[in-house]
Amino acid sequence: MTSICIYFEVHQPTRLNRFSVFNVGKNSDPLSTYFNNELNFWIFEKVAKKCYIPTNKILLNLINESDGNFRISFSLTGTFVEYCEKYMPSLLDSFKDLFATGAVDLIEETYFHSLSSLYDDLDEFEEQVTMHNEMIKRIFNYKPRVFRNTEAIFDNRIAKKISEMGYKGILTEGTEKILDWRSPNYIYKPVNADIKVLLRNYTLSDDVGFRFSARGWPGYPLTADKYANWLASCQGDLINLFIDYETFGEHHWIETGIFDFLDNLPNEVMKHRHLDFVTVSEAVERYEPVGEINVPWAISWADADRDVSTWLGNNMQIACFNEIKEIGKAIKQKNDKEFLYIWRLLQTSDHLYYLSTKGMQDGAVHAYFSPYSGPYEGFINYMNILQDLKQRI
Amino acid sequence: MKIAMIGWEYPPFKAGGLATHCYGITHSLAENGVKIDFYMPKTKQKSYSNTPNLKIIEVGETDIFPYDRPDTKELAGLFYDAVYRYNDIVVAKVQNNIKKHGKYDLIHCHDWLTMRAGVTLKEKTGLPLIITIHSTEYDRAGWLYPNQWFIDMERYGMEKADKIIAVSHFTKRVIIEKYGIKPDKIEVVHNAVYPIHEGQKQEIVLFLGRLTIQKGAEFFLKAAQKVKEHEPNAQFVVAGTGDMLPRLIDQAIYLGISDRVIFTGRLTEEEVKHIYSISSVYVMPSVSEPFGITALEAISAGTPTIVSKTAGVAETFKNCLKVDFWDTDEMANKIISILKYDPLRSTIAQEGKQEIDLFTWNRVAIQTIDVYNKVVK
Repeated sequence: MTSICIYFEVHQPTRLNRFSVFNVGKNSDPLSTYFNNELNFWIFEKVAKKCYIPTNKILLNLINESDGNFRISFSLTGTFVEYCEKYMPSLLDSFKDLFATGAVDLIEETYFHSLSSLYDDLDEFEEQVTMHNEMIKRIFNYKPRVFRNTEAIFDNRIAKKISEMGYKGILTEGTEKILDWRSPNYIYKPVNADIKVLLRNYTLSDDVGFRFSARGWPGYPLTADKYANWLASCQGDLINLFIDYETFGEHHWIETGIFDFLDNLPNEVMKHRHLDFVTVSEAVERYEPVGEINVPWAISWADADRDVSTWLGNNMQIACFNEIKEIGKAIKQKNDKEFLYIWRLLQTSDHLYYLSTKGMQDGAVHAYFSPYSGPYEGFINYMNILQDLKQRI
Repeated sequence: MKIAMIGWEYPPFKAGGLATHCYGITHSLAENGVKIDFYMPKTKQKSYSNTPNLKIIEVGETDIFPYDRPDTKELAGLFYDAVYRYNDIVVAKVQNNIKKHGKYDLIHCHDWLTMRAGVTLKEKTGLPLIITIHSTEYDRAGWLYPNQWFIDMERYGMEKADKIIAVSHFTKRVIIEKYGIKPDKIEVVHNAVYPIHEGQKQEIVLFLGRLTIQKGAEFFLKAAQKVKEHEPNAQFVVAGTGDMLPRLIDQAIYLGISDRVIFTGRLTEEEVKHIYSISSVYVMPSVSEPFGITALEAISAGTPTIVSKTAGVAETFKNCLKVDFWDTDEMANKIISILKYDPLRSTIAQEGKQEIDLFTWNRVAIQTIDVYNKVVK
């Protein structure tokens, strides 16, 4: 038996307003001047219509039609859930409906989709994980057993912390950097902690996430039966397909046939007798580690480098990262709830992602997601806001 | 392949980017095996070439070189006379050389200054004609009151040419929309740069260019006033000369920044390199800029650069900052940010220098030869 473990990341950052050096120290209310509510609502609504609403509907149908044999997992970031509660409660209801089928699992992460796991102390990280935990408890009355860090950032230190916090499993990237010749299609265990690691099969995940509508790709056009055959020919216990939820309808538009692909996938997979679907919790329960991984330097699933250079690859990114850490010390002393919340919204990793100066293929992906005309404009804006926040406290 | 290229300026004589371009393209074409006779007006400082395949042929004589627009009627009259005279002499000289040394494969001209000669030669010899458009009358007039005489001259040349090389997609669009030329006749070849050494940086914010309406120095001064309030130690340098110089000096006094602004007048090539190398920010706020080689020069010297959004260079070069030329608040925001945030300065300088490596004259030559091959029979 080989199990297919499909997991979707659902996230929206809180994008920033235009903020020039002339605004620093001049404005009254940071919540309304730092964040571009209009743009954020516009993007959220656009993506909801193109992706979240139709995809949730398809998934619910597929689960019901398959009598719960089609099983999936989600991680919903805190910032995403806040958008739902503020602008579109019905969307949150549709996630609740999915969860109510019993075929859907929820994954823990930091509430703010932040890089707090890379700070010198892990106390802020732990607080943000706890916030997420409380949010899932409040909305779904559920306690996740598996953790996935921001963009699958992972190292020994994070694994140990998450294990100590009581989680049974953790997700990250199945990169050769840590596997060498070994297959990602098994469960592993960190050298220093007692927790099961699920490794993303990046080739098969990116076939859907990145390459689905690429006409130059030999796999084009990708149909559900072709893809199911690829899955069926894989060796191993477990194939982890971790995919950005916006793949459906947003990165690949409806015209590419991505929804038809999704609609047909469960049936095509289940034609193969030795394949079934599991949630992340079930994967962790069912399979045992076959080996150890040692990850002293942080990896992630981002860009071709599969490390944290996506967020900390140049001087501008490192300067902002250090600045936000520094501001944190003062904020925690001040003990002001609103400032703490603003500081945390500013920690969302996307703010640093926009400042990446990587060239070539990755650069095109960065530009696609960025609300700025380039990384330098992004830096000026973000740094000006950090300077303003610093002056206030 | 052997070509006759007809130019107007060439180092050491230099009024603008055209000389830089002609120097770069002739040398790199020669290195790629193209034999070039480069025709230009005789100047006081003699131009010469030590490069095999490249011969510089000086013809005629003129003292009048307003690259841009003659500012008085009298000068204009003399200037047009000089241009006509030069074009006529070039035609005779090229025909003479064909008789003596054999045929060329094509004629390549630059801008309106040399179009008449190009078209006449095409008609007399039947050789294909290539014209590179570095700027149009609309650019030079800053899109205000363009002179019909120049426009007609430019259209005449463009219509007769077999292929037009535009220095940017921006310019290609102007040629299509304003001159009615068919898009498939126009090829875009972006400019390049010979890198300049980086020097000891000082807190200098630099403008460098002809002081004409096209280059937008007045917006630079407006931004400077806003920067001064924030960064009182910043020094602003306006390098170059042109018909707007007196107005700009008045403007600096009026804005209360004359203590922070230095007007250098025309600089020598060595001085230009030096000022690029020690500046912390270069601003090119052109109202209309077909390409903007100066931006590449500044970037190559490790100077973070802010350019007009519509400049040709902005459509192809990533590691620079882009603003609307009229948005002096944003221009000031960016200047201050570069002065204030070291990580921004170092990242943009480093990434910019890497990207500059792609902008070689050799690449320009290879793309130009591709265009040649399309017209050579």
